[in-house]
Amino acid sequence: MLTIENIYKPDLVEIIDIIQETPDIQTFKLKFKDPEVQKNYSFKAGQFAEYSVFGEGECTFCIASPPTRMEFLECSFKAAGKVTKAMSRMNVGDTMGLRGPYGNWFPIEQMKGKNVVFIAGGIGLAPVRCIIKNVLDLRSEFKDVTIVYGARSVNDLVYKYELEEWKNMPDVKTVVTVDPGGETPEWTGEVGFVPTIVEKVAPSGEDTVAIICGPPIMIKYTFPVLEKLGFKDDNIITTLENRMKCGLGKCGRCNVGNIYVCKDGPVFNLTQMKTLPDEY
Amino acid sequence: MNEYIITSTNINQLAGELLNEGYNVVAEAEDGTAFIAVAAGSNVILNPFGKPTNLSPKQYIFPKTETLFYYKKSQTDVEIIDPTGLGHKTVIFGTKPCDSAANKILAKVFNWDYKDEFFNKRVENTVVIGLKCGYRDAQCFCTSVGLSPESGEGSDVFLTPLENGDYLAQTITEKGAKFVEEHKKMFDAISADKNKPVPMPEAPAKKFDAAKVKVWLDSNFENEFWDGLGDLCLGCAQCAYVCPTCHCFDIVDENFDYTSGRRVKNWDCCQFTMFTKHASGHNPRSVQSDRFRQRVNHKFKYYPDRFDMILCTGCGRCSRGCGVGMDISEIVQAIDNLK
Repeated sequence: MLTIENIYKPDLVEIIDIIQETPDIQTFKLKFKDPEVQKNYSFKAGQFAEYSVFGEGECTFCIASPPTRMEFLECSFKAAGKVTKAMSRMNVGDTMGLRGPYGNWFPIEQMKGKNVVFIAGGIGLAPVRCIIKNVLDLRSEFKDVTIVYGARSVNDLVYKYELEEWKNMPDVKTVVTVDPGGETPEWTGEVGFVPTIVEKVAPSGEDTVAIICGPPIMIKYTFPVLEKLGFKDDNIITTLENRMKCGLGKCGRCNVGNIYVCKDGPVFNLTQMKTLPDEY
Repeated sequence: MNEYIITSTNINQLAGELLNEGYNVVAEAEDGTAFIAVAAGSNVILNPFGKPTNLSPKQYIFPKTETLFYYKKSQTDVEIIDPTGLGHKTVIFGTKPCDSAANKILAKVFNWDYKDEFFNKRVENTVVIGLKCGYRDAQCFCTSVGLSPESGEGSDVFLTPLENGDYLAQTITEKGAKFVEEHKKMFDAISADKNKPVPMPEAPAKKFDAAKVKVWLDSNFENEFWDGLGDLCLGCAQCAYVCPTCHCFDIVDENFDYTSGRRVKNWDCCQFTMFTKHASGHNPRSVQSDRFRQRVNHKFKYYPDRFDMILCTGCGRCSRGCGVGMDISEIVQAIDNLK
């Protein structure tokens, strides 16, 4: 028998619910099969995990539910690769594996007492949603909260049920937009690209932290907007994605220069991003 | 450090005894291609003047395929079963200094944060009986990365060939001393008249100054120097597979049938297109020159940045084996000559 600590061995989780977010994006609610593991599990908003489908392999994504609600964990994924396609064929009651949490997290302590603006595009809302819900659960500890979320089309918006909830909160400004051409006749939200909408609705950079995640092109065009609004580089925070296998700083594929995204990230501020070579 | 004499006859006897004690005994294959298991009754090949084997002995501490666990699936449940037979007691005979030095380098990445106990268990259970190296060719560059063909670094016991065909055995580590102590009857006391080492050729000349190269790498991630390199490279990854220090790996599931299988850690390589390719199709290292830049930087900048060690022992295998004649020591030398 093996008598070593096996860092590659996942804990077993059961799928307790599946939400079809869009035609190809699903959210799984997961619960550890061992109640002791469930009871002792903890993580911080922004961390990621390795999810197993036994017989298919592992894939990496953030934990999308907040650490303030620990009755289950959620992850959202697009059926894009081998493992996520296998996940999309799974049912409630099925068993998966989970390793983690890994990596660093959003600096929530530094955000307290400040305005916060959340900017997300497409499935990039998943990691941001984790910290949004974390902040909203501790609402009184933050000043103004603004959420800007965009997707290519109405069909591509994820967490629609929560977008409505956030829109109805009196102390949260939520703006949802779709790219031009992506609207439906019934659409009442904004039409336009995320950077444009951010320029219109975001507060000034004074005393404000921006959390941003989405397609590289969206991030690229939003950074200058935030700089124009007076955001300091230290207060512009994003989460990087690179292909990962181990999540443990060993397998050697997620590195950007000498940085391991899985260990030194995935959360980086713009000051740090500016020191990274263009390899992500 | 203690010094003994061991005769060739006793080396073969020692191997036989170790096999009886249940050890895996590993040494160079007769054809010099790899390190392989020594069968009962066959001789241990020590090849101080021979070319380094095509494959490094890395696989004995970091196997090409390592079972992480087995799984058994039922309708909705899964059972995870620990692997067996990990870290079998092993003695490796005759690794040259460029191979012996690799384990300590690899130990850094496998232990800097999370501990990879698969690696550690194998290292712990392996006795390295290193050998002084008398081989020199145009691809050797151990002296450029701070090593030497006469260094016992990484060996537990270090052998030096003597003119009468015997070997001087020096215990380098506590593990080595204990190993010799446990097999004392195979080792003789030093006698002055027997103790003449075979003369060794001069150490390879230094091809580059690694510290100076690192300074250039520190500020030249973007540089036209890298552009042409990818044109030649086939991206076949032989360089990584023969390397004693390359350690990038993949994690995949292998199904035995519909309900059972195993998860394994397999050797992988940064020279493959798919290595960094995202599910979205985006690839941060989209062309071969990006990937070759990664290889050079990982060895001569990133690893020294993180772990204060060069990820290379100068064995020259990658260059000897390269199908298109790329030679990393020449490339790094060219960097050194840039200014």
